[in-house]
Amino acid sequence: MCQPTVDKKHCDNPLFKELDAFIAKQKPGRDALIPVLHKAQDIFGFLPVDVQEHVADALGLPVSEVYGVVTFYHYFSMQPRGRHTINVCLGTACYVRGAKKVCEALEDLLGVKMGETTEDRKYSLTTQRCFGACGLAPVVMIDDDVHGRVSAKKLKAILDQYE
Amino acid sequence: MKNARVQVLLCAGGSCISSGTESVRTAFERELDVAGLGSEVELITTGCMGMCEIGPIAVIYPEGIFYQKVKAEDVKDIVNEHLLKGRVVDRLFYRHPTSGELVQLIENIDFFKLQKKIALRNCGNINPTKITEYIAADGYAALGKALCEMTPERVVDEVKTSGLRGRGGAGFPTGLKWGFTAVEKSDQKYVVCNADEGDPGAFMDRSILEGDPHSVIEAMAICGYAIGADQGYVYVRAEYPLAIERLQNAINQARDMGLLGENIFSSGFNFDLEIRMGAGAFVCGEETALMHSIEGKRGEPRPKPPFPAQKGLFGKPTVLNNVETFANIPYIISAGGAEFAKLGTEKSKGTKVFALAGDINNSGLVEVPMGIALGSVVYDIGGGIPNDRPFKAVQIGGPSGGCIPKEYLNTPITYESLPELGAIMGSGGLIVMNEDTCMVDLARYFLEFITEESCGKCTPCRVGTRIMLHLVTKICNGQGTMADLDRLEELAPMICQSSLCGLGQTAPNPVLSTLRYFREEYIEHIRDKHCRAGVCGALMWAPCTNACPASVNVPAYMALVGQGRFKEALKVHMLANPFPSVCGRVCPQWCIKKCRRNDLEGPLAVRLVKRFMADQANSYMDLYPPKAAPNGHKVGVIGSGPAGLTAAYYLVLLGYDVTVFEKQDEPGGMLRYAIPDYRLPRGYVDKEIDGLVELGVTIKTGVDIGKTVTIDSLRADGFEAFFIASGSGAEIKPRIDGVDLPGVYTGIDFLEAAAKGEDVPVGKSVLVIGGGDSAIDASRIARRLGAEDVTIMYRRTRSEMPTNPIEIAEAEVEGNKVEFLANIDAIREKDGKLEVDVIKMRLGAFDTSGRRRPEPIPNYQDTRVYDNVIIAIGQRTDADDIVAGATGLKGTSWHGVEADGRTGATSAPDIFAGGDLVSGAATVVDAIQAGQIGARAVDQFIAPDASRSYPWQRLDLPDVPVDQDADIVDQDPVMTPLLSADERAYSVEVERTISADEAMREACRCLRCDYKV
Repeated sequence: MCQPTVDKKHCDNPLFKELDAFIAKQKPGRDALIPVLHKAQDIFGFLPVDVQEHVADALGLPVSEVYGVVTFYHYFSMQPRGRHTINVCLGTACYVRGAKKVCEALEDLLGVKMGETTEDRKYSLTTQRCFGACGLAPVVMIDDDVHGRVSAKKLKAILDQYE
Repeated sequence: MKNARVQVLLCAGGSCISSGTESVRTAFERELDVAGLGSEVELITTGCMGMCEIGPIAVIYPEGIFYQKVKAEDVKDIVNEHLLKGRVVDRLFYRHPTSGELVQLIENIDFFKLQKKIALRNCGNINPTKITEYIAADGYAALGKALCEMTPERVVDEVKTSGLRGRGGAGFPTGLKWGFTAVEKSDQKYVVCNADEGDPGAFMDRSILEGDPHSVIEAMAICGYAIGADQGYVYVRAEYPLAIERLQNAINQARDMGLLGENIFSSGFNFDLEIRMGAGAFVCGEETALMHSIEGKRGEPRPKPPFPAQKGLFGKPTVLNNVETFANIPYIISAGGAEFAKLGTEKSKGTKVFALAGDINNSGLVEVPMGIALGSVVYDIGGGIPNDRPFKAVQIGGPSGGCIPKEYLNTPITYESLPELGAIMGSGGLIVMNEDTCMVDLARYFLEFITEESCGKCTPCRVGTRIMLHLVTKICNGQGTMADLDRLEELAPMICQSSLCGLGQTAPNPVLSTLRYFREEYIEHIRDKHCRAGVCGALMWAPCTNACPASVNVPAYMALVGQGRFKEALKVHMLANPFPSVCGRVCPQWCIKKCRRNDLEGPLAVRLVKRFMADQANSYMDLYPPKAAPNGHKVGVIGSGPAGLTAAYYLVLLGYDVTVFEKQDEPGGMLRYAIPDYRLPRGYVDKEIDGLVELGVTIKTGVDIGKTVTIDSLRADGFEAFFIASGSGAEIKPRIDGVDLPGVYTGIDFLEAAAKGEDVPVGKSVLVIGGGDSAIDASRIARRLGAEDVTIMYRRTRSEMPTNPIEIAEAEVEGNKVEFLANIDAIREKDGKLEVDVIKMRLGAFDTSGRRRPEPIPNYQDTRVYDNVIIAIGQRTDADDIVAGATGLKGTSWHGVEADGRTGATSAPDIFAGGDLVSGAATVVDAIQAGQIGARAVDQFIAPDASRSYPWQRLDLPDVPVDQDADIVDQDPVMTPLLSADERAYSVEVERTISADEAMREACRCLRCDYKV
């Protein structure tokens, strides 16, 4: 298994305790699965296989179903992320106002391709479809901050704001 | 706080927050406190006001003073000047995008004036985090009315009466949907709100949830009452954290007040709501997929029927509506369905919210009555395209929708009219595009989107869209064939008809609609390997070269000029264009619009460098490309303008025996007789034509083809092929009285007579009619001939003027006036002067060119007196005589020659045509391209087997190294040296040549986009 995992000794890991406390508050039924996965990704930063197994156990679902859901939705990731996630919006408005150029510039600047994480684990570079901030196109979201009217020229100054 | 003297509304919509609302709010709190206004001024943060582009926005009531782009440092002035002293801060006013006027009040901004807000009624007016503000704006009154005064059936009927249709895109009548669910018998029913706003470019649902979340909660409760459901779910995208936060806050408040929960309004009705977060899957916008997702499953759709009204969420009857649909419901219940139905058209009632984005001045959210013209949304509300660039198309309906081109700006927006044009209403994303968007690349973009978002359950969508993407990508990379287009058109309907859900069924729409309206662009990519928008990188040498009609290798000669190698630079230029001196003076420079320096401090001054470079050579003989040995074939070229001479140039280089026939006494066409001396001194025209003659082009002047000599007689003399480029030199005259009176000139005749040095009597006051280059030129010549009072009259506005804005500005510098929205109705002679009836115009509906058609304002008339009137409203072709003397050649009803502008082919196999004669009046560099096309057509006709590349196709990197690692630094562009207005005499060139130092420095600014790693 070459998939990344978190600490195997679940029982002692406080992160799993936090997740279990959240699961305990859910109403019974499989419709709790997606909210639980959201919470788990919040806690762990990503959804490695052992976290999926834990969720499957706790909700009484086959691991295959959990895995099926995790891999279906873009928002869930099985790879660890960098400290900061850079999301370039590739919605139509951003696209027609030069998002492609912004992507190229970011790849040049960070030396990684879209979907990858820098070696120092500082940044993960990804794209998304439309944050609904089309009025500010092109838009780059770093963690929860939206940066509007971005150009290749402004990128360095924007990245400099992040430690 | 109850009696606040002033209210400051601060927009805290998602976009304004990104632009800095939070720091502005803190600054207001601080400054109000410092000024001691805390009790007099109430600060309210609201939801989205709609003008996202110019946020953060603050509106100060009671007056409604509107401030844009407010920064924390501006707040002190607003508080001290406006709130304390009553002096408004005009530097923060909104500026009208075309007139440039400052607008003070929100009610006077066109963007707001033409809107009708129902779904967005509270957005931007109340604080969305306070339920009390919603209630104060009549919130929850509709729920009270429904629960206490109406039966569930009445509620459904009211919604049916309103004619409301689903705002998520498909447009299904909401009342019917509710009715179907209401009649189902079940122990449990559900109300679901679709807030999975996945269409890229749509953000109205986000804004409603962020700006007025209670309206959705209230509507869902009303729906629950109408259909007999006690549980609702709002399915929100995970990408909208602020919307989730505000909605959750609103749900909590509503629960606390008993507006959700049990026994609401003591009516015995129970209803509660939960939020479910999406996880990034576009297909979850499809209702069955969305319900699977709420159930905790993969968001895959299932076949219908059964419809959700029968078997929906958890297998129970379910109503599923979109956010905007719900946001209309409280108004419909309060005001009555009939009131709502008064708005809109017969089948599309009420209003629709659109998210305006892309290349538009006022991007943001707008709500307009159904049936409004598309162009009115783009221009009247959206403020048009930035920098007055031409409108190309609007993309509407996202990945399921289509593009609508400029010909259809008058189309009313309804559920019926848009599908007729190959688009759909969709959720209301409306993305405006200028000519920088490549329509093939746009189709590729949407296909890429669809292939990533296809859930994979059904084959047509999963595999079919992938094949379409492969085909379109091939075309973008210049490897497409015409058969690929057929394949696309064959696949598209198959995918539409056989896919399981709406995603697949509409996935081919973006390709179909771009093929429908922009097929020519696909063909250019395939056959000419050319992307006119300069987007498809594989087809581009460099953006400037791609934009140049003549394909001049700009980066190569810039690199050489930068090293002081001027003659080598000129040699590069001569490969594609033998007129560097002429173009160095009059080229419209399409290249610099695409210059990558535009993203930095500004584009290169390409023309100034070219002009300097051309002026360094007295003779071009050793700079032309090598000439092939004579091949003995005789070719005739008709017309010695830039198109004809360029064709002759390349044909001579290929070894042909070329004779150019010119009607006038001297060669050059428009270069000599239309472009005035002060822009292009005759000496430079002579220099470049002399060079061509020295190279071997024979020019016979004074030969009017069709009169003394005909193409048929030339055929008999051994000419094997012809290129006709006789231009469009006849002036169009308006059909009004008095155009033939003495003292009335046509623009072309006036310019030609002045160029020939003939005596053209010009009085003190001159009126020039028209808005093109020749009108501006005529006005400036009139002043040079002694006129003191010169007025240019144009029937449209400045932004529609077809001429270069610099020329207008220079005419104004010299003292000429420009009067817009005016025309003449009649000219009479009176006491040796001309009496002119002037009418005022206004802009009416959009014509097929995408511009508003000017129409006279009734009952306005004004009579003025001038010494001369010059009519320069346009030119037409005059090739009837040429056609008459050429067997097999077909003319056109507008006195032209029937020809294909792309290949030059005519109805006669040995005759080709191009330039203004075919395209209508265009620029010198367009004519040079026409000459290239003509030369290639003639060559391929005479020597079909000689497969060769032509000089203008030779694009090589210069031997000038590029340091890829060097930092790019801002360098100011060189300024155009101009004579001051009082130094300008009749034949003195207004613009000057830059120095060698300046030219080299400017050339070094080139980013060398030709160089690829």
